[in-house]
Amino acid sequence: MQLEATELTEAEMALQMEVREYLQQRLPAGTYEVGLGMAANNDVEFSKDLGAKGWLGMALPKEYGGGGRTAVERLIVVEELLAVGAPIGFHWVGDRQSGPSIAKHGTEEQKQAFLPGIASGELGFAIGMSEPDSGSDLASLRSRAEKIDGGWRINGTKIWTSGAYQATTILGLFRTSEHKHEGLTQFIIDRNVEGLTISPIPFIDGTRHFCELSFEDVFIPDERRLGEVGGGWAQNTGELVLERGGVDRWMSLMPILEWWAASDAVKNSPGAQADLGAIAARSWAFRGMNLAVARMVDDGKSPVTEAALIKEMATRFEQESLDTVARHYGRAPDLNSDDPHESLLARAILVSPSWSIRGGTNEILRTVIAKGLGK
Amino acid sequence: MTTTNDHTVDRDLIATVISLFAAKSGHDVVIKAEEEGLLPSLWASVSELGLPLVGIDDTAGGSGGTLLDLLAILHAAGQHAVPLPLSETHLAAWLLSEAGQQVSDGPMTVVPGTPKDTLALTDGVVSGRAYDVPWARGVDRIVALVNDSSGAPYVVTIDPGACEITPGTDLAGQPRDVIEVKDLAVEAVSSPVDRDGLLLRGALVTAAKMAGALETIATLTRGYTEERVQFGRPISKFQAVQQHVVTLFQMATMASLNVSRAGRTAMDGPASFEICALKQVVDKNASIAIRAAHQAHGAFGMTQEYRLQQLTRRLNAWRSEFGDELQLASRIGKAISNAGKLEHVIVGGSAVLEV
Ligand SMILES: Cc1cc2nc3c(=O)[nH]c(=O)nc-3n(C[C@H](O)[C@H](O)[C@H](O)COP(=O)(O)OP(=O)(O)OC[C@H]3O[C@@H](n4cnc5c(N)ncnc54)[C@H](O)[C@@H]3O)c2cc1C
Repeated sequence: MQLEATELTEAEMALQMEVREYLQQRLPAGTYEVGLGMAANNDVEFSKDLGAKGWLGMALPKEYGGGGRTAVERLIVVEELLAVGAPIGFHWVGDRQSGPSIAKHGTEEQKQAFLPGIASGELGFAIGMSEPDSGSDLASLRSRAEKIDGGWRINGTKIWTSGAYQATTILGLFRTSEHKHEGLTQFIIDRNVEGLTISPIPFIDGTRHFCELSFEDVFIPDERRLGEVGGGWAQNTGELVLERGGVDRWMSLMPILEWWAASDAVKNSPGAQADLGAIAARSWAFRGMNLAVARMVDDGKSPVTEAALIKEMATRFEQESLDTVARHYGRAPDLNSDDPHESLLARAILVSPSWSIRGGTNEILRTVIAKGLGK
Repeated sequence: MTTTNDHTVDRDLIATVISLFAAKSGHDVVIKAEEEGLLPSLWASVSELGLPLVGIDDTAGGSGGTLLDLLAILHAAGQHAVPLPLSETHLAAWLLSEAGQQVSDGPMTVVPGTPKDTLALTDGVVSGRAYDVPWARGVDRIVALVNDSSGAPYVVTIDPGACEITPGTDLAGQPRDVIEVKDLAVEAVSSPVDRDGLLLRGALVTAAKMAGALETIATLTRGYTEERVQFGRPISKFQAVQQHVVTLFQMATMASLNVSRAGRTAMDGPASFEICALKQVVDKNASIAIRAAHQAHGAFGMTQEYRLQQLTRRLNAWRSEFGDELQLASRIGKAISNAGKLEHVIVGGSAVLEV
């Protein structure tokens, strides 16, 4: 395993400054609810504004409204968004993975139908993979798409679908034959399609982004099948690199860390300063790894093992960092506090165990890494 | 600012170095050095290639090459536990050349400078003690930074024959001595590098060695777990054992990448944040990796006869050299706490904040 060191070019650094300045104007402190990384609030207007700036769908081809830019440029934008806890919930999944996947595997008609909307912030995607009986073992999926005249009939249940309630579109993985891996196919599904019921599952912190999807004889035209019949598993693996290799995997906590770093509590405590320094050092090291992976993606590689290797330890680091901040806070933070930092810290404490579950559990990632290292 | 193109490494040279170290610094050689100290024939074989003075300008008598070449050589030396004062010779040569002095062949060492040190310079005469001097026994020259009465730093070269040396060893069994000089007349040259500059350079080169050692303990452990059979299967098949191997590769990959990163930044300008962050991270990774490697090896890894200990003992020794985890973390945290911009520093580094 070797990652190549890389740094930002002048042009990339200029982009960083541009995004930073824009966010200062668009999201002045106190005017929005600060969120925890990708689980942040949905704000369709904000998503559209980012789209208008050209900061969504950056890596999508220009002819479909994308930016024709690089994974590194997207990373730069994402870092700044996560650092301020921006309300990115609505566009997150489409921008990060559904868009690139449709660009890669979609038909001409699908690209025209979906990519411009992803790039403009009008379409919000959700990922329909997990099922009540299929979590880590996705090859055991049971929700079924059955071939009928002109399309497919879908039946079954998807669960833990983040943001489905607010999404416009769901990219779902369904069983189309009995083959374990080759029997899976992806479909692009309209959130309002007849026969689909979406029910929120209240999350541990009281939010309602988590959903259950129940499909009853839902008709999906064949034009909405993404890629080949039976190609879903392989397509999904490609998306996982995008899902796992990003800075979003350890930057959920950044708004809290930022606030804590600047607090008097840290200024007055050498012990807290040492903890802050250790967090900064490790963040810097992780950031270099994510940057190296983004350059690999831009070079046309698919760094599956590398992305898993980073995510597995970065999510643990993120949880440990939260413990550190909480320890220095001195008392139990109140979820309903008037101080937005305090309530955000309380929320982070509640949701942090999910960081090493979503996107593939650490146990599964370790198996992926161990296999990849053996090669 | 220089362009990315300047950040190249002499790949042919590094390939030669790696095979040389692999051939010359095997398990038995390292044991022999532990018993006998600096091995002249081993030194001669690296000296022939000019390796000890890579990264020092040829106009100053060095071998040329870039900082990245140097870091790659030290990384390889760390991989093979090469029992020679390579980084020490570099630091000594670097201090001399930065002060406009010529360097010449032969092993050297540098006085790292502990709070207990009493070396002081008055009118061209040095007196006092210095602690934790690596390889003082065995080198041709000891180079030190000493302050005159006004506090300005000077570079002085001390002949080991002119000191009283009290032998000691580090955790890896390598010489780490106390030196004492009394009224020794020296040539003292005003130094553009101060004690902190030496600490940063020392931290960078030490991290490179550590990253190399981490790479080796990762591959060594993977290999061992694939061969060791328990319950009828290789232990590498057990998830709990795989976790140790994964941890090791995580620690090593993170360390090696960031050595290159910090080195590249250091070539372009100030890199105090990057170097402190690097050494802090690598120190921490070392403690995690040492535990994982020994755990996966079971009792066998604890024995003298097996290679692992040569690397983990070195890692333990280097962890405390040129700044340890707590010291470096405190330094970074204090600076960021005063500046109050964490993310900007993480992504912008020393260009945003020198620590
Ligand atoms: C916040 C959050 C958001 C999510 N968003 C989405 C989403 O948008 N769309 C979506 O499809 N899914 C989503 N998920 C689901 C997520 O992908 C799954 O939770 C995850 O893959 C684990 O599946 P599971 O919960 O069924 O646990 P299980 O698979 O039942 O695992 C339970 C435990 O057993 C361990 N385990 C299982 N198999 C093995 C094995 N072979 N070796 C070792 N250990 C094993 C697991 O690591 C875990 O510790 C989300 C989850 C969370 C927490």
